[in-house]
Amino acid sequence: MSARKPYVRKMSKTSWFLTHARFKSYMLHEVSSVFVALYMWLLIDGLFRLAKGPEAWEAWLSFIKHPLVVILSLIAFAFFIIHTTSWFKAVPQAMRIQTGEHFVDGKLIVGGHYVALGIFSLFVLILAGVA
Amino acid sequence: MSKRNIQLEVLRYRPEQDREPVFQTYTVPCEEEWVVLDALNYVKDEIDRTLSYRWSCHMFVCGSCGFKINGEPKLGCKAFLRDYGDKIRVEPLDNFPIERDLVVVIDDFVDKLQSVKPYIIPKEEKSVAAGEYIQTPAQLKTFKQYSMCINCLLCYSACPQYGLTNQEFIGPAALALAHRYNMDSRDVGRSAREHVLASHEGVWECSFVGACSIVCPKDVDPAGAIQQAKFTSAIDYLTSMVGIGGK
Amino acid sequence: MQIIDADIVIVGAGGAGLRAAIAVAEADPSLNIALVSKVYPMRSHTCAAEGGAAGVVKANDTLDYHFNDTVSGGDWLTDQDAVELFVNEITKELIQMEHWGCPWSRESSGHVAVRPFGGMKIMRTWYAADKTGFHMLHTLFQTSLKYPSIKRFDEFYATDLMVDENVSAGCTAIEMRTGEMKLFRGKAVIICSGGAGRIFPFTTNGAIKTGDGMAMAYRAGVPLKDMEFVQYHPTGLPGSGILLTEGCRGEGGYLLNKDNYRYLQDYDLGPATPKPVLKSMELGPRDRLSQAFWQESKKGRTVQGKWGDVVWLDMRHLGEKLINERLPLVRDLSISYVAADPVTDLVPVRPVVHYMMGGIHTDINGATPVAGLYAAGECACVSINGANRLGSNSLGELLVFGARAARFAVEHAKSVKAPREALVTAQAADAEGRIKALFKRTGGKQRVAQLRREMNLTLEEGCGIYRDEKSLRESVAVIADVRARYRDVALEDKSSVYNTDLYQTLELGAMIECAEAVAHSALQRTESRGAHQRLDYVERDDKAFLKHSMAHYNPNGDPRIDYLDVTITKSQPAARVYGAAAGGQAA
Ligand SMILES: Cc1cc2nc3c(=O)[nH]c(=O)nc-3n(C[C@H](O)[C@H](O)[C@H](O)COP(=O)(O)OP(=O)(O)OC[C@H]3O[C@@H](n4cnc5c(N)ncnc54)[C@H](O)[C@@H]3O)c2cc1C
Ligand code: SF4
Ligand code: FES
Repeated sequence: MSARKPYVRKMSKTSWFLTHARFKSYMLHEVSSVFVALYMWLLIDGLFRLAKGPEAWEAWLSFIKHPLVVILSLIAFAFFIIHTTSWFKAVPQAMRIQTGEHFVDGKLIVGGHYVALGIFSLFVLILAGVA
Repeated sequence: MSKRNIQLEVLRYRPEQDREPVFQTYTVPCEEEWVVLDALNYVKDEIDRTLSYRWSCHMFVCGSCGFKINGEPKLGCKAFLRDYGDKIRVEPLDNFPIERDLVVVIDDFVDKLQSVKPYIIPKEEKSVAAGEYIQTPAQLKTFKQYSMCINCLLCYSACPQYGLTNQEFIGPAALALAHRYNMDSRDVGRSAREHVLASHEGVWECSFVGACSIVCPKDVDPAGAIQQAKFTSAIDYLTSMVGIGGK
Repeated sequence: MQIIDADIVIVGAGGAGLRAAIAVAEADPSLNIALVSKVYPMRSHTCAAEGGAAGVVKANDTLDYHFNDTVSGGDWLTDQDAVELFVNEITKELIQMEHWGCPWSRESSGHVAVRPFGGMKIMRTWYAADKTGFHMLHTLFQTSLKYPSIKRFDEFYATDLMVDENVSAGCTAIEMRTGEMKLFRGKAVIICSGGAGRIFPFTTNGAIKTGDGMAMAYRAGVPLKDMEFVQYHPTGLPGSGILLTEGCRGEGGYLLNKDNYRYLQDYDLGPATPKPVLKSMELGPRDRLSQAFWQESKKGRTVQGKWGDVVWLDMRHLGEKLINERLPLVRDLSISYVAADPVTDLVPVRPVVHYMMGGIHTDINGATPVAGLYAAGECACVSINGANRLGSNSLGELLVFGARAARFAVEHAKSVKAPREALVTAQAADAEGRIKALFKRTGGKQRVAQLRREMNLTLEEGCGIYRDEKSLRESVAVIADVRARYRDVALEDKSSVYNTDLYQTLELGAMIECAEAVAHSALQRTESRGAHQRLDYVERDDKAFLKHSMAHYNPNGDPRIDYLDVTITKSQPAARVYGAAAGGQAA
């Protein structure tokens, strides 16, 4: 009979992401999506209120102006930035563009995304009459 | 040449005497230009003949010498001492059972490699007399990066999904290899590989932590391959839906 | 002891072993194949080959050219029937590799590209950037997964061959993870166990290249042929011995001495043209280039420094783009190991032991004198390499002769009757007994590392680029001493699970046997030919030595050396001509 006795190291299902800085930043990205989702929910809620009538809309507006909500919004915005930058950084891996014997430089693809984001944001701001 | 004393903390596991792995520290007089593997070889030759680990080529191409060095999956022959302090910790790769000391059991990976059918599945058999396939440098470039994998398994060690699923996930290198053949202009085997690739344990198990691509010593970028495979797999799925609808 | 029955047992899963396994599976899918290897197939040292594999494919080339280059490159010690067969078959094999997915580098037309290589008159070396062997090995390994009849025994260390009255019956191997000895019974055995470069201290060969299969055959009564011919590759990185492929020079790199002078022009290899010309200067054969280094060093014209004695490899004029495209590994290795970037810096290099021209004696079919026992790849000596192998011929050799040995083994396996069971079992028990005795031995005073060092050193000093009677006698004596003391090595590790102390000890035993064959064959060959250069016999002596040396094992003392005539068909021995007179193509 053989003396083999392979040793299996258990991985914690709940705290594995604390074992490496890389996993923590991955988790940050994942958690940030929760805030992004929550904020989306808030906006969609706003749309519903708008459809319901001016009263509901006004209530919603004053709700989002509440200092606590503003603070929460700022936090959400911070996570939004985290989410966007970490996602954009990964895009060139998922999206390879080949022209002949070369791939388009990843930096260009990332840059393209930021430019698109900029243009889109500007457009929204213009629509909103801010800029 | 200047010598430097390094404290090498090596995780030992001797199945006949250890209930669980324990660290053992060796003091190794090292040359400045050594790699961690050289230090291990010094221990083996001069201090402790019972230390077990795998190595062969010493030129980062055979893929034998993957260890966790100061917490990072690395090739022992590519981990230069000049990049480390005087205390270096060497452990077996994560996510694989430890056979003995730094040697891990990799049967599971070898099975997975086979499962993705990593060989050319041609449209029709071509005789040698008919000569080579024409493949332009651009077509070669499309899959070349994914053919560079040396099966060192650093990516499996870095991949939390592989560990969390208890080795269910097919994992970075095997999926990247499947993608390599799918992208080869000589191959038409994508549908034959699809049931493995698109299975629950296949590309969709990947949550894009991206650690595999960071630790890969050969710039294979398995994470990228998997995301691209997700895309084609989704498209295949959609077109097959449309196909069913149309018929 | 567990018995594993197979029709064909293959020892070694490198390029040759995998090619052989696939050839058996294709010839007859009903045959069971046991593919035994001490490492996982993709770890085999074929993965380290960088430069490429030669095969005539372009319109300006002919089979005769490849034949002539190979025969003269080998200083007429090649068997010409084998070379002819080789040059005829190799291109088909390379195309077959292409069909199996090998990512050969391409011309813009989509046809495979070829590059210049040392000693070759025309460009004919197929390559996959500078990782040719790596891609070939992985292509073969991955393709082998297609065939259900190939059963792999990864990490099984083969120890002995079983032979019943000059008929091969199988081998024993230890399963490394359990320490259990298994008996592989097979109607035919093919040894594909690779080279033995590790007998030298400074080598491009990986840790696994310890000549195990050569030693197994040697002990089983098969002679080792032409063992004195050891190839030094002219461009190894000092310190580590890592190889910088001949591709560096094929692409146009220069070799410079300490005065930045292309010294090869002083050794009948010139003239020094700025662009590479085949069979000239840096594209001369390896033996001549390594010898030129030695001469330069004697003249005090090599560079002395932290790396010892080196010359410079200058690739700066090739430009970053070409280096990145065709020599990416070279750049990576140079920067990592000697902190020199070939794009901007001179890279220090020196000759390094690289390849064994000699090996297990086989005929043109890969058959050894023991019926049913075959050998292929670097461990074998079919004699296409003679006294000096041309770069890029051995990746071809392992394909052609791996497949060929397999086909003949298949024929043999179908015709042969089962060997006598009791005798084979008894031999296996003996083999197991020896391992058990090694475990039981206590108080051994000799250390593996020390003996290995002494053997390494004496080979480097006595059997190096240049040898003479005195140095060789010294080597012979030291090896005999090491061999005697080896019997007093005791294992420090008594574990049965992945005991690398055990395997290194067995490997040392094999290396000592190979080293002995090298030193004795070299001592007896009193001439200079190819890689075997004697300071006391500087001329080639075709009268006495147009012959293969055959070293026969002697369990109680020095090996017996006898000789076998070289097969000459169409090329009569002549002077080897390089430089301007060789008429090589501009690369
Ligand atoms: C750095 C380098 C670069 C090279 N470049 C080129 C080149 O550009 N062109 C060229 O033509 N040639 C080149 N060569 C030479 C060529 O690569 C080798 O000669 C060839 O790959 C040998 O292949 P093989 O199959 O015979 O042996 P290997 O690939 O070495 O395989 C040997 C196999 O035998 C097994 N084995 C050994 N002992 C045992 C045992 N006791 N039990 C079980 N299994 C065992 C091993 O596990 C392994 O699987 C190069 C060599 C080196 C070292
Ligand atoms: S993908 Fe990279 S890290 Fe993973 S096994 Fe291959 S070479 Fe190693
Ligand atoms: S020893 Fe081969 S990769 Fe490190």
